[in-house]
Amino acid sequence: MLSFHHHHLPAHIHLALFHPVSHAAQIRARIVRASQLEGPEGDAEREAVNFAFIDARLITSTLHLQTAIHQAILAEAQGALRTKTVHSEILWALSPNNNITEAIRRFGVSDNTTALIVVRVGSSGIPDIEHRMKAIATGDIRPLSDLSKLTDWATVKKYYKLNADPAMKAPGLSPEQQKLVADEIVVSTVAMKSVAA
Amino acid sequence: MESATSRLLASAIQVSQGAEAKVFKAYLHPCEFASSSTSPSDASDGRTPILLKYRFHKHYRHPTLDTTLTKARVAGEARAIIKCLRHGVNVPGIRMVDTAQGVLGLEWIDGKSIRLLLGGGAEGEDETTEEETEDDSHEIEEEDPFDEYGISEDDAMRMIGTEIAKMHRADIVHGDLTTSNMILRHPSSAKGLQLVLIDFGLAYTSTLAEDKAVDLYVLERAFASTHPASELLVASVLKAYQEHMGKEWLPVSKRLDDVRLRGRKRSMVG
Ligand SMILES: Nc1ncnc2c1ncn2[C@@H]1O[C@H](COP(=O)(O)OP(=O)(O)O)[C@@H](O)[C@H]1O
Ligand SMILES: [Mg+2]
Repeated sequence: MLSFHHHHLPAHIHLALFHPVSHAAQIRARIVRASQLEGPEGDAEREAVNFAFIDARLITSTLHLQTAIHQAILAEAQGALRTKTVHSEILWALSPNNNITEAIRRFGVSDNTTALIVVRVGSSGIPDIEHRMKAIATGDIRPLSDLSKLTDWATVKKYYKLNADPAMKAPGLSPEQQKLVADEIVVSTVAMKSVAA
Repeated sequence: MESATSRLLASAIQVSQGAEAKVFKAYLHPCEFASSSTSPSDASDGRTPILLKYRFHKHYRHPTLDTTLTKARVAGEARAIIKCLRHGVNVPGIRMVDTAQGVLGLEWIDGKSIRLLLGGGAEGEDETTEEETEDDSHEIEEEDPFDEYGISEDDAMRMIGTEIAKMHRADIVHGDLTTSNMILRHPSSAKGLQLVLIDFGLAYTSTLAEDKAVDLYVLERAFASTHPASELLVASVLKAYQEHMGKEWLPVSKRLDDVRLRGRKRSMVG
């Protein structure tokens, strides 16, 4: 697990990559239920799932993830969130269109998620945060350098509409170079989402 | 209230100051996050720098208009860049956008501008300040600055023509094709040796051969004003451009002749 903050931003970030994850359907059900429960029990459940859950298959690099988190915190700091929370804002930032429901469905945890990134953004560091993460997501905590091995490029290309891009069809591109090109388009798309045409 | 982005700017090192924008080198993400598998590590401390382009307030403009214009320019530059990226034109990637503060964060390109490589000196620098130190070193034989990049000057000119053609085929007109706005990316970078076009502050979308021709004319004038023997350099650029434009070359070429003629007439009058 990583805990850090940006010197220029008022937020603390805790983040972990879980893999393999075998109970994604249960996690998802718990998130849904937390949003429906009322009273103190509901508050406790909402706090227990107060994270951004991201399907790691759709992340092309640590920079991709960093960029989405950074733009979401920046929006929150400016009072310019387009979604309810900074956590949903991360999913919105990752998605190349403006439909928040679709962003959560595609980039959030789904029933067949096997690699999961759990992010908590807060105003201060949370001491027992790893514990809290493990209370909802089981599976091994893996280093972020594993991300590149987990990327599902076919789905990334589909969601970010890379297949029609001339950049991806440039002659003489090795598969590795093509991944660099794809990663650059994806990262840049996330970074400029607030001004996308 | 001090904004997050102004704190970021305060921690950055200024690298240039233009009429519209100040440009800085900065670090966006904390070091714990630095060890990415794909991005190369910076020689210093493993962190990758970014470039911040900050469009400062123009006090002579009405504040509301100023903010609106600044937002539109930041957005316009970002949109031109993403379009270039998708079309395979070598440009810096985008790293952050804050239109409220007028800041665009871009991938830092490690390399040298074509202007510097052609011996043009830094932008705005007085060109006669270089001192000739005649000591006992072996530096009498002039070194070719392109050697470090493993290419010849002519190769570089051809790379410029190729990149501009890719951009024009995507119907993007740069608007400020000077040799300062082209960087040769060092071969040791993760993306390898590339000719990278920068500064899309004046870029726009157009399908018109006329607009593309004017883009080339600006380039010719820029070469002529900063580099000796510019005709040969420009000829190489245009040769590669022509090869990569295919059937789009002819209309642009015709327009370019017109634009040159108009330019000559104007200079005879003025
Ligand atoms: N992505 C980049 N990486 C490294 N240096 C850059 C980059 N973009 C710009 N520069 C440097 O900063 C200078 C000014 O940036 P530019 O975008 O051209 O702004 P201006 O509109 O002020 O000319 C450039 O001439 C170049 O030397
Ligand atoms: Mg410039």
